[in-house]
Amino acid sequence: MPLLFPLVVSALLFAIGVYGVLARRNAILVLMGVELMLNAVNLNLLAFDAWHRDTLHSGQILALFTITIAAAEIGLGLAIVLLLFRTRRQINLDAVRELADREDTDREDAEVRR
Amino acid sequence: MTALLVGILAPFVAAVVALGLGRRLPRLVAPVGVAGAAVAFLTSWAVVGADLASDLGTRTTTLAHVPTGGLAFDLAFRVDGLSALVSLLVASVALAVQIYSVDYLRGDPRYPSYVAFVSLFTAAMLLVVAADDLLVLLVGWEVMGICSYFLIGHHWELREARDSAVKAFLVTRLGDIGFLFGIFALGLGAGSFRISEVQEAAVNGQLTTGTATLATLLLLAGVVGKSAQFPLHVWLPDAMAGPTPVSALIHAATMVAAGVFLVARLLSVFQAAPATLAILAVIAAITMVGSALAALAEEDVKRVLAWSTVSQLAYMLAGLAAGGYTAGVLLLLAHGAFKALLFLCAGAVIHAVGSNLMSAMGGLRRALPVTFVTMTIGLAALAALPPLSGFFAKDAVLGAIQEAALHGGPLPVGAAWVALLAGFGTVALTAAYSTRLWLRVFFGPRTVPVPDEPAHLAPGHPGPGHAGAGHAGAGLAEAPALMRWPLIVLAVPSALLGFVAFAPGAWASWLGGGGPAVASAPELIHVGTTVGSVLLALVSSGLVVWTWRRHDARDPAVLLGRARPFLQQGFRIDDLIAAYVVRPVWVLARAVVAGDRDVVDFYVHGSGRAAHWLGGTLRRVQTGNVQTYLTLLLAGVVLLAVAALGVIA
Repeated sequence: MPLLFPLVVSALLFAIGVYGVLARRNAILVLMGVELMLNAVNLNLLAFDAWHRDTLHSGQILALFTITIAAAEIGLGLAIVLLLFRTRRQINLDAVRELADREDTDREDAEVRR
Repeated sequence: MTALLVGILAPFVAAVVALGLGRRLPRLVAPVGVAGAAVAFLTSWAVVGADLASDLGTRTTTLAHVPTGGLAFDLAFRVDGLSALVSLLVASVALAVQIYSVDYLRGDPRYPSYVAFVSLFTAAMLLVVAADDLLVLLVGWEVMGICSYFLIGHHWELREARDSAVKAFLVTRLGDIGFLFGIFALGLGAGSFRISEVQEAAVNGQLTTGTATLATLLLLAGVVGKSAQFPLHVWLPDAMAGPTPVSALIHAATMVAAGVFLVARLLSVFQAAPATLAILAVIAAITMVGSALAALAEEDVKRVLAWSTVSQLAYMLAGLAAGGYTAGVLLLLAHGAFKALLFLCAGAVIHAVGSNLMSAMGGLRRALPVTFVTMTIGLAALAALPPLSGFFAKDAVLGAIQEAALHGGPLPVGAAWVALLAGFGTVALTAAYSTRLWLRVFFGPRTVPVPDEPAHLAPGHPGPGHAGAGHAGAGLAEAPALMRWPLIVLAVPSALLGFVAFAPGAWASWLGGGGPAVASAPELIHVGTTVGSVLLALVSSGLVVWTWRRHDARDPAVLLGRARPFLQQGFRIDDLIAAYVVRPVWVLARAVVAGDRDVVDFYVHGSGRAAHWLGGTLRRVQTGNVQTYLTLLLAGVVLLAVAALGVIA
């Protein structure tokens, strides 16, 4: 099988993932986008591993690492989303803007300090 | 040697203790101050006793050697006749002043710090006298300056006192800049900061005339500042804003004499530079005549004495410039005694009357008999009437100058003639102002000051005016015992010290080593100048008495005619300084302020404003939406990747 096919699939998967992370509002869908990107990378790793005929199969091993880390990451991510939902009753990322640097937050901070 | 070091340490310890105890045990402060001065007094007598018994020679000791990388210096001290005698003068006047101050400043809330500073001053002056290293001497010299500053500003709630303190500090410091560089020039020229080695180098001719001239001219700046000579004399009359005992100790007997002492100490170096000697003699000539004229016009008792101090210091410097080492030092000691006496007497008078002005005095000889007798002795010594100390000392100086004028010497003959003429003129003027002071304070109609009327209180000439007002109201009373006894004790050397002039050989040997290379003959009595100056003094005081009688016992200063206001303002030198020094400095300061505000601050504020604006612009990016951040991040990565590709390709 030519190398090109898996690469094209992985690029598509990655692009979909990027779209999901950057454009979706639902936090769970954003996490899914992250997973898609990770798996695109995994696919790349396996494809190159096969193409190189690597005797140590370092690509496969690295992919296994990635899967493990992705599992841990999705656990953490879902926990954060759960907390978000518990405190706000919604998981719309556009509504979570407390990190913004605004004049009114400056004033509130000053008042709190006082 | 040990005695001298103990003498330096004792007042220093007293100063520290007085400062420490001041608030908690105010009653212990006076004994501590007196004890410090008394220890210094006893130890200096021990040294002088050894000197009188047999020639001390010059003994030096080095406590520590300080390597500096360049020219090293030593913590070195020396004892010789000069330092022994001058330290005796310092310690005795300090002791008299400490005892006198107990009563004079009774009830003063700042008495502890006063005692501390007087003690510290005593230690510093003894350090100057005993130093064998120019840098050690400089330490004492500067400590004296700061003590003088604090003591002039003792009544710092009065504006005049504050201003005078700052003026004294600035003017003397101006001279001290020259002094510091003079020490460097001299040390580098002689290859050592040790005074004994510098003297040796000067005597052996190792100093070139150029080096010696440069160094002595710079040192002369410090001397002129410290000893209040023209044109840096302006601080001394104003320094009278300090308490009177301080004027007696610092601004009459000792600190202002430190400049003279330094010239005497380094006379061999000064003699290697005839140009400096000529300048010194001319400065002294100008100063002695000018300040004597100002004294004749002055109305404030203490300022009369201050001007007279300036004039007498000029005498000493002229005598030293002419090579009259023994004569100059004799006048230094005699003047220290009788001028301290005069100031303490003036303090007693002011204490009784409650005013500094002569117009508030008059007819006091019955009310203050002790002060009258002692002050008469002091004034007669000042006016150089025989057989008091001032007479012999001044004639010794005049004789030395005359010898330099007639026979030549290191001092150029022209300058010597100028100094000689000025000296004779000053004899007449000194007699005149002494007589005037005497007549106006103790004779004539009795003007009893009314305490409620503030007009007779010299504004800004504090003295004990506030404390003394009560005395004036209660009638005139002789000073308390602790103020009386120092007067009587100081009157003795003022009267008798001059008789050493009959034993010039012994006097020269007491002064011992370290003298100049070219000294004038040790004779201290010169018949020609003696007769001339006594005649001059008698004629001029006779003239003053005659004027005084003719004008109904009022001010004999009418002799000065229309020049009087001009003289009373000290030749308006303060105005000159205000116009040509102070005002340009103000203009410069304003220019600097404007430059700082309008030029430098523009950039400082500008950078702040620019950063603020930039921050305000950048903060708009911070929307709080994580996805925006990630988008920007991705865009950045893509840009970097494209750039990297471009670089690789």
